[in-house]
Amino acid sequence: MLPDIDLRIANMIKALEQVILPALPRDQRLARDQAMLVAGHLRMIGEQWKSALRYEQVALDDLQGLARDLLPGAPAFLADDLAAALAMAEACDRASVTAIEQANIAIGHAVDAVILGGSDHAPMPSAAVDRLLDYALRHARRERSWFKANRLDPDQNDLPDLVTMLAETN
Amino acid sequence: MAIDMSEIGEAPPVDRVDIWNREDMEPRIREILDRTVRDRVKGPYAAKTDMEVVAMLERYFARTEGLESIRISGVSRMAGGASKEQFAFTLQHEGDPAGERLVLRMDPLEAISQTCRGREAQVHIAFADILPVAPVRSIDADGEILGQPAIILGFVNGVTEPSEGKGHGVSGIGTRYDDWAAKLAPQFVDTLAQVHRFDWRSADLSYFAAPEAGTRQAPIWQVNWWSQVWWDGVVQPVAMVTYAERWLRENAPVCDAPVMCHSDLRLGNFMFEEPSGKFTAVLDWELAHIGDFHEDIAWAIQRLFGTWTDDGTFLVCGLIARDEFLSAYEVASGNQIDPVKLHYYEVLNAYKCAVIDLGQAMRAATESNNHQDIILTWLGSAGAVFLEQLVMLIRKA
Repeated sequence: MLPDIDLRIANMIKALEQVILPALPRDQRLARDQAMLVAGHLRMIGEQWKSALRYEQVALDDLQGLARDLLPGAPAFLADDLAAALAMAEACDRASVTAIEQANIAIGHAVDAVILGGSDHAPMPSAAVDRLLDYALRHARRERSWFKANRLDPDQNDLPDLVTMLAETN
Repeated sequence: MAIDMSEIGEAPPVDRVDIWNREDMEPRIREILDRTVRDRVKGPYAAKTDMEVVAMLERYFARTEGLESIRISGVSRMAGGASKEQFAFTLQHEGDPAGERLVLRMDPLEAISQTCRGREAQVHIAFADILPVAPVRSIDADGEILGQPAIILGFVNGVTEPSEGKGHGVSGIGTRYDDWAAKLAPQFVDTLAQVHRFDWRSADLSYFAAPEAGTRQAPIWQVNWWSQVWWDGVVQPVAMVTYAERWLRENAPVCDAPVMCHSDLRLGNFMFEEPSGKFTAVLDWELAHIGDFHEDIAWAIQRLFGTWTDDGTFLVCGLIARDEFLSAYEVASGNQIDPVKLHYYEVLNAYKCAVIDLGQAMRAATESNNHQDIILTWLGSAGAVFLEQLVMLIRKA
């Protein structure tokens, strides 16, 4: 691929920061804010895009793990749907970001149904709650690291970079 | 120190509130949420041009006030906020050739939070003699004339962050007040106290409903509001958001005495004049409702809205150390903060923020229904901060 994606992203950031932004009147704050955010998004995408497939795989694997943890304690009428979503996730094309995202959404809805416990809100076993909170913490840390470059995270300095974060999941 | 939630969680059936009845919410909130879903398909939405705004306003004032020889000039899009389209403009007409400077605050098709301009107007009017708030010039609560819901306010001078400051961020997040804090912090605390002392029963608040005192209705109304936003807009399921909803229902505390809550009083949502530091306007009342005062306190102390001093001290809203803030509030308001309830509302607020960032913002951006979708996705990328807070807070309980 020539020019490659990194080069084109770098070109876009340069154009925004060195040509477009300086040309915007100082009083056009909304336009300036949005132009700066475009540059920020591009810079973040530049860091992320090569790891996007790996990231989605890790996210799906983790969610599948939670689903397996919830399955034994799930009410019978919800367990079937959860098992079906798990089977779909296991069969999905792991080379496709889109396929992984779809599997993630399907399994996520089935997990949600178990958490809510159906119309009578069956209680969650305490062990299942523990597993859920463990998963949720990993999920949150992963996402925070993934989006660390937005610099909105009050504890951004405590987060690993993307390479380290993904390496730790192996 | 771990907080014992058992006195709430194991509370006997203290009231008739069905914690799982999703229909139990303020009627006007229900209308707004239903309208959001109904109108969602009308997108995509494009930012209004200055010419479009001029045409809309000319038609509006001619029709609503019968003004003649209307001239709309000086239209200037205002930055700030992550929700409404806002324009400053000057209205001149035959009866007022000098003109008045006004602000149009208008709903895009879909925003980071879907709220009611009618409620906002009523709160502005109710607090007009109590706090610095922009005067209400006109209101089109359902967009029947303008085409989209809007409020028109008097223009107020001031800044939301120091002109010469080190930290500036989206929606005010990350603003550092530094030396300004000594002037601003007492006003901030006093504002919260004034809001909570307000006698809402004697005000015209017809767009509002009040939860029953001595019951769990106040928190359950909030859980129903925000969980409805989540389920109406969810783009991708998030297990922690769903579990937090369940936890919030099962641990809802009784609200003894409902008060008016601003619900978004934080850095970026007040204006002050330089160099005096005097507040000129308390902004963004769109989330105001009658509820538990702990909700406002818990909102203000969120980490995302705070800053740290160079020596590592956390400052609530960049203004004042947490313990100092809580003590000052108690003195100013006369309210006694219950740490268990405060903790519950920290969870509720983290949940609301997660719903806003990962739910409503993502849905609005996905549908391209906002004038600044890119800000919504930028804020959405911070949503996991609230997910981790939810884990930590619920574990601590």
